[in-house]
Amino acid sequence: MKISKAVVTAAGPGQSSLPLQRLVDRDGTEKTALELIIEEVDAAGIDEIAIVLSPGSEDAYRDAAGRYVDRLTFVTQAEPLGYGHALLCARDFLKSEPFLHLVGDHLYLSRSQRKCAQQLVQVAHAFGCNVSAVQATRESMLPYFGTIGGIRIPKENNLYEVKRVIEKPTPTLAEQELTIAGFRSGTYLCFFGMHVLTDSVMTILDERVRASNRPVPLSDALQEVAGRERYLACEVDGQRYNIGVRYGLLSTQLALGLSGIDRDRILTQLVELLSVQR
Amino acid sequence: MNTSNKSASPKTQCGEAWIESIVSEDAPVRNRTLESLADGLDSTALLNVAQALDHFRRESGNLYHRVRAQMFLATIYRYLLPKTFSERQVGRITYEAYRHLLERRFSEAIDRLLSDQLTSGPTLATSSALARAYHQLGMQTLADQVRRSVRTVRGNQWMFRVAHPDDHPLRYNKLLLRSDPATGDYPILCEKTSVRMDFSHSGWSDIFFLGMDFPEGAKVLNASIDLGVFGRDSAPRPPVEAYLRVIDRPVLRLVSTDLGAEAELTQIDEVFDFAKDYLGLLKAALIAAGIVPPAMEGCRRPIQELMRVLLGCEGLGLELVSKVNDIPKGSRLAVSTNLLGCLISVLMRATGQVTRLSGGLDVNDQRLITARAILGEWLGGSGGGWQDSGGIWQGIKRIEGVIANAEDPEYGISRGRLLPQHTLLGEDMLPPSSKQALLDSLILIYGGMAQNVGPILEMVTEKYLVRAEREWQARQRAIEIFEGIVAALQAGDIRRMAALTTENFTGPLQTIIPWCTNRFTEEMIAKCRERWGEQFWGFLMLGGMSGGGMGFFFDPAVQAQAKPWLLETLVATKRGLQDRLPFAMDPVVYDFRINDAGSWCSMLNGAEAVMPDGYYSILAPKLIRKEVKELSDQAKRDLMRLNQACAMDPIRARWLLDRILPQPQSDSNAGISLSDSLTEHGFDREQHEQIRSELLSGRIGLSENRLPIQTEIRDVALDDVIDVRDRSRRSADSSSAGQRALREGRVAVVTLAAGVGSRWTDGAGVVKGLHPFCRFRGRHRSFLELHLAKSRKASQDADCPIPHVFTTGYLTHAPMQKYLEQHKFFDYPGSVYLSRGMSVGLRTIPTVRDLIFHWEETPQQILDEQQQKVRASAHNAIAQWARSCGEANDYIDNSPEQCMHPVGHWYEIPNMLRNGTLHGMLQTHPKLRYLLLHNIDTLGASLDPLVLSKHIESGACLSFEVIGRRIDDRGGGLARVDGKLRLLEGMAMPSDRDEFKLSFYSSMTTWIDIDQLLRVFGLDRNLLADGKRVDSAVRSLGGRLPTYITIKDVKKRWGLGQEDVFPVTQFEKLWGDMSSLTDVPCSYLAVDTVRGQQLKDPGQLDPWVRDGSAAYVDGLCRWSE
Repeated sequence: MKISKAVVTAAGPGQSSLPLQRLVDRDGTEKTALELIIEEVDAAGIDEIAIVLSPGSEDAYRDAAGRYVDRLTFVTQAEPLGYGHALLCARDFLKSEPFLHLVGDHLYLSRSQRKCAQQLVQVAHAFGCNVSAVQATRESMLPYFGTIGGIRIPKENNLYEVKRVIEKPTPTLAEQELTIAGFRSGTYLCFFGMHVLTDSVMTILDERVRASNRPVPLSDALQEVAGRERYLACEVDGQRYNIGVRYGLLSTQLALGLSGIDRDRILTQLVELLSVQR
Repeated sequence: MNTSNKSASPKTQCGEAWIESIVSEDAPVRNRTLESLADGLDSTALLNVAQALDHFRRESGNLYHRVRAQMFLATIYRYLLPKTFSERQVGRITYEAYRHLLERRFSEAIDRLLSDQLTSGPTLATSSALARAYHQLGMQTLADQVRRSVRTVRGNQWMFRVAHPDDHPLRYNKLLLRSDPATGDYPILCEKTSVRMDFSHSGWSDIFFLGMDFPEGAKVLNASIDLGVFGRDSAPRPPVEAYLRVIDRPVLRLVSTDLGAEAELTQIDEVFDFAKDYLGLLKAALIAAGIVPPAMEGCRRPIQELMRVLLGCEGLGLELVSKVNDIPKGSRLAVSTNLLGCLISVLMRATGQVTRLSGGLDVNDQRLITARAILGEWLGGSGGGWQDSGGIWQGIKRIEGVIANAEDPEYGISRGRLLPQHTLLGEDMLPPSSKQALLDSLILIYGGMAQNVGPILEMVTEKYLVRAEREWQARQRAIEIFEGIVAALQAGDIRRMAALTTENFTGPLQTIIPWCTNRFTEEMIAKCRERWGEQFWGFLMLGGMSGGGMGFFFDPAVQAQAKPWLLETLVATKRGLQDRLPFAMDPVVYDFRINDAGSWCSMLNGAEAVMPDGYYSILAPKLIRKEVKELSDQAKRDLMRLNQACAMDPIRARWLLDRILPQPQSDSNAGISLSDSLTEHGFDREQHEQIRSELLSGRIGLSENRLPIQTEIRDVALDDVIDVRDRSRRSADSSSAGQRALREGRVAVVTLAAGVGSRWTDGAGVVKGLHPFCRFRGRHRSFLELHLAKSRKASQDADCPIPHVFTTGYLTHAPMQKYLEQHKFFDYPGSVYLSRGMSVGLRTIPTVRDLIFHWEETPQQILDEQQQKVRASAHNAIAQWARSCGEANDYIDNSPEQCMHPVGHWYEIPNMLRNGTLHGMLQTHPKLRYLLLHNIDTLGASLDPLVLSKHIESGACLSFEVIGRRIDDRGGGLARVDGKLRLLEGMAMPSDRDEFKLSFYSSMTTWIDIDQLLRVFGLDRNLLADGKRVDSAVRSLGGRLPTYITIKDVKKRWGLGQEDVFPVTQFEKLWGDMSSLTDVPCSYLAVDTVRGQQLKDPGQLDPWVRDGSAAYVDGLCRWSE
């Protein structure tokens, strides 16, 4: 499977300004969140990137994209019809090709030499099927994420055959449907905000969007995919940061700073802060 | 010791066969009966078996194997070994073992008792204590396992991990957070749920332990039903409802419209305070639904934090309201469990744990709610039934045990799964015509009796685990009948079905538990047969025992006529028995229908978003008292809406006003009535005020009942008692002094029956003496009838009619007189006297000091961990109640009968002097010289010529009978107190430890030499006619005896079958203290246990029958025809 395209969704309510936020990267340079996302995609060897936006935000995104602006295709979601519909808006751009998908309100920090998107794309190359990046997550965070249930693939440390996908499950349902052998109680595999998807997902989304007047979540389509074809989950060696939640940007910045060249400086500043604050 | 073991095989003698029966997978081996295993074993063999079983239960890793071994051991020590002992093998229970038992350290208690047994040899006392310890250990092991299984059900586990509000993983449904743009009100979720009825439970196979050990036999045919009260409601409707909405205060507001209770919780820990108010069920629902997960107990966080996470915004809270549509408590239709399920369902819908926000429930959701309802019941300490939440489901279904497989958490622990399987009988299996035929025949009723089913469930469990032969066969038959009932219902053959439910009741159920029927039920069945003949098709027992919810099948042609007749007959029968059996309220006849929808939820928006009427009657008075400006917007809107509703509906307005505003007492004489009653029954106001003042000053009280700590208490020597034990091995001597006294008419019997036997019905205030407690020769007989039957036999044997006196009290006199007259004194050949009580006390609110002493300083049985929490919460509430009512104030907030109290059994002989009974007897029977005095519940007390001879020969004024002390015999005993031989009351013991030094327990049975006793009073036969002299003599002697302060539980009944139990203070003087008077010559007769044991608690009945005591007592009787 060759993956040369990526879709970043940033059309959700309250999401339009998030990729425009500025952060200091590990190397000490100041970048917009959008630039950081594009660099993640770029590291996976993908050239063509579509950004799905709400109407009227394209100019701001162009400014925020900096030197990558020429590689971007901007797709507008005319009406707020949900996550699945936003993704579907990029169908013409994709031309039935498999693609890497990232959400616009998450940033990723790899713990290995390879960036998170790169790890995921390699798995998709190797197995030739839909793959979602996932992360072990405590049950208290279930209200925020899509969650998968499945079985570990033999001889693979971080790969799972997905059997069940539920969007923001209750812990009750998660315990009944989504437990994974070998995981500690109350820990589940939740979406990382990064997927490699094939056109079959877009077909299902299209069917669902046509059949329903309500917003269609991506998770429902992924559940259907799991029933139809091979669908894997990859526990990537990295961390995701949601910049859309309260103090999300602060946590993300701290994570970037503490893993980069300014680590000592930030720690010193934190100690100073702690010493003067009660 | 019995030494015959000729028929026992070597395998049974060494315990091998017993263990084989426990571990075998082969059903015929596993189900070998207790009788077949124990056949022919002598005491040595039984002790060997016990040793092998004890070793096995310590080593076995399998829970059910351990429990069966424990139950075998309990049975060996309770029933089998004692039969091989001589009555002289009394022994003593060490205090240390007893403390272990009280504090639920059962394993330690067993170790200590076995070590005592090793050093002192097997005795009746240690044997009884070992039986108790093994039994309780078995029950505790089972309960712990069920609790663990409930926790390990998938979908429940997370709640035991989430311990901080910030970690809460549930979110409230956003639709329910959207307030109405026009009114500002939040939507209300309203859940309506039916209750359940079982056509058969296959011999209580719905008990968790049975279902988990014997899933093949766990079968229930269960229907969800809607109810209406016949003559009151226009149509049946779901009996329980729950309402949930967001409120504009960051609290949890709980309202129970049926119990009239409301509370706003601001701290998470308050949710775990179950017994603080009447909102325990709502709190259990909040916990079981995961709104306040059980792991948060003790987290000391405010509710506000939890609401912020759950609702996603500041300043909002939740309100949960319960409503029961006037269905009485104790209906045996699992109203409480289904209300719990209903509340859990609405909370789980709102938090997305159930698929649908409104409408019906999916099967998976029903299973989940069922699991949570079980969890809620165990958290609340009540531990409900396995199929009780059947009302959550729809229609009629089979609920059956399931064998655990490798994927189940129960696998390897129990044979069956915790949760049963539900199979709905759809139209293909149960045609609508069959359902209609059922409705056309069956009449459901609530008999009004309030009884505790708990002991029955324990009895069933024990009998099942040891495979008692008759019970095991009965269980097989019950399973066959179950299938017959299902087939008959499916075929629409209701007559056949009725015949089978009747056979089930009269056959297997009563074989397993004879106590599941009672006089009331039997009379009703007999009346139905008599009035309707062939058109009465049969009877159906609902729930764990009869007397509450019951069903009567009639020919459809007469069902309409039978309904009003049944109601009238039920009420009349209840009135005839209400002094004798514990009724909580008048019987009710229901209209019912099968609920084919299951639990159903609606979302009420806009103008429809109103709470039920009962809600406003509770909340409105509170809101009205506030200034308008202090009210929240939501409260203002609630009041406005209420105002509008009342303006449109004057009847509703009137109804509401009646509930909001104070009403005149319906019985305008209620206040006077107590005062009149007190005067009528000889209340001494002066003495009462003195007691109150002494209580308040601390001069008297529970702690002051005790003798000074330096008092020396020693056990008696064998030659301190006259030994008449092992009576069955002695031959009667027709020329003895006792025989002669009986033949010459020198003896009369006095049965003490002035008290109501508080423990017998938990303070329900019925007359224990008249309670038809046990079936003899095919009929339920009362204590009173039994005592007369013994005297009849003695009269006939001696060929001389023996006078029999029953002493009475304010509560027992009239009912006993009426009862005796109704039954024409059971054709008793001699004179029967009622000696009326001459004095009465007025109960008072306990002092907090006494309450704390009662709970903390006197030995109390520690309960199961969860029940102990509930008890601690109840204690706080009761202490608060005592403070708010005023310590030592008169207790007047109950019926007059429950406010007054008898003043102790010492007064009963003096009453016979004061009311002229003894004088009259002596006039009529001048030869009379001896009295046999005994308690109403000492059933084995009889006019045994040998024992009487010993009394006569002793020349004593009073000869007290004592028995070897066993574990159940708590309280007074025979002791040397500072060197003097006397009876000492339990509450007078200087310390708890002293009781365990004593080998003999006082049975209270006393042989009295009349003339000597009169001399002690300073009287003689002639002076008995002088009332003033008698009064003065009684007062003078009474002054020499101690007054004890005691705490008794009394029931207060209210609403529809609701009962509250309050501990109240009363005082008493006790008969045994006569032995402390130096001028009263006393002797002490050691008698067989069977002669002196007392029945204080209905839970003792079953062992009393099983150990042969009932047969012994029956042998003392000659019943009237």
